[in-house]
Amino acid sequence: MPAIFTVDPRSGVPLYLQLIEQIKRAVALGMLGPGEQLPTVKALALELTVNPNTVARVYRELEHDGVIETSPGRGSFVRADAAAESGRAVNDIAWAAAQAAVREAKSLGLSREETQDLLLRALAHWYETEKDA
Amino acid sequence: MNAPAIALNGLTKRYGNFTAVDGVTLEVAPGSICGLLGPNGAGKTTTFKCLLGFARPTAGTVAIEGAPVTPATFAALAYVPEVANLYEPFTIAEHLTLYRRSYASYDEARARELLTLFELDPRRRARKLSKGMRTAVALTLAFSIRPRVLILDEPASGLDPIHQRHVLDLMIDAATNGAAVLFSSHQVGQVERAADAVAILKRGRLVVNSGIDELKTGEKIIEATFEGPLPELRGLADDPRILRVERVGSILRAVTREGSDEIAQRIFAEHPKSIRIIDLNLEEIFMNAVNEAVA
Repeated sequence: MPAIFTVDPRSGVPLYLQLIEQIKRAVALGMLGPGEQLPTVKALALELTVNPNTVARVYRELEHDGVIETSPGRGSFVRADAAAESGRAVNDIAWAAAQAAVREAKSLGLSREETQDLLLRALAHWYETEKDA
Repeated sequence: MNAPAIALNGLTKRYGNFTAVDGVTLEVAPGSICGLLGPNGAGKTTTFKCLLGFARPTAGTVAIEGAPVTPATFAALAYVPEVANLYEPFTIAEHLTLYRRSYASYDEARARELLTLFELDPRRRARKLSKGMRTAVALTLAFSIRPRVLILDEPASGLDPIHQRHVLDLMIDAATNGAAVLFSSHQVGQVERAADAVAILKRGRLVVNSGIDELKTGEKIIEATFEGPLPELRGLADDPRILRVERVGSILRAVTREGSDEIAQRIFAEHPKSIRIIDLNLEEIFMNAVNEAVA
């Protein structure tokens, strides 16, 4: 697996959640293909310099979420049906980002209508840009 | 569940009227890394001394691998003090020889690997080494015996950032091989990376003893701003899930140990102008723990 993952200990987000998100994103974007083998817990812990129990937890939760499968003695692999799973992962990540945007607007004291207007303008901005390109 | 490799039960150490360690109960399981944080003088080194049998507890007990500490304990235990104890006239190579003769589990190949890792010249004498190099020698010796229990007192002090990273990797490697690691540090980021559990000492008392993930998931700041006077919010200060409530001008700030969503909902019912839940990193959690209830 390419060295595409990083953790930020200064963030308030627990490291295991940071890693789960990054691996889901890598699967969603095809950087990790179906059947691709993940490093062992020890190898990834040493590569990222994070606690091995943290990595083990990441793998357990990814397995639970249907992103990877682990067979004893062979290792952990991206699931064959990762194409379907990856769509869900993309949705999860985008949903979290949309949630964060709304939460942020709310925390700044914007009303529901103002927030809706803001999101519509963001949509117009990005899709307008694509049309021009 | 594995029996703890390191266990402190109600450990108390008094020197005259001064209580250096006050009722500390802490366990580290095999394969686990516990980071011990605390301001200077909080009792970290005294805790280690009691754990190693270098100081006699006033009350409470300590156990390594389920048994009281005896000379035999040290066959599988490595301790690196904050200031490395070396034999000043000896070369680094002679230190390795000493370890080869003293420890059945000594691994020569591993020791050579570590010398290379820390860029140490085995021909150099201990008394000519810098503080960081002395620490590196002590770490090389500690890890060369493939210990099952590691107790490290600020193991990265005096090392450059690259060698500091190596120290974390050595701890991680040891833990994946089943060792239990207890280490103290002033660098919270190191604890956050390497440890799965964190203990925070303040004036001899353990004020935090938790898994890092649980700690970061639970501890948040809820910050709400109000127009006009701040609401009373009866019972907020008595809620056991809330560590502290601050009121500054139009801002209400609550530090929660858990249940931040529910508490935020309660504050939201008072119609704040704005409200947000702030994630805390370990450094901020540490600051909260050692500063709380100062008044």
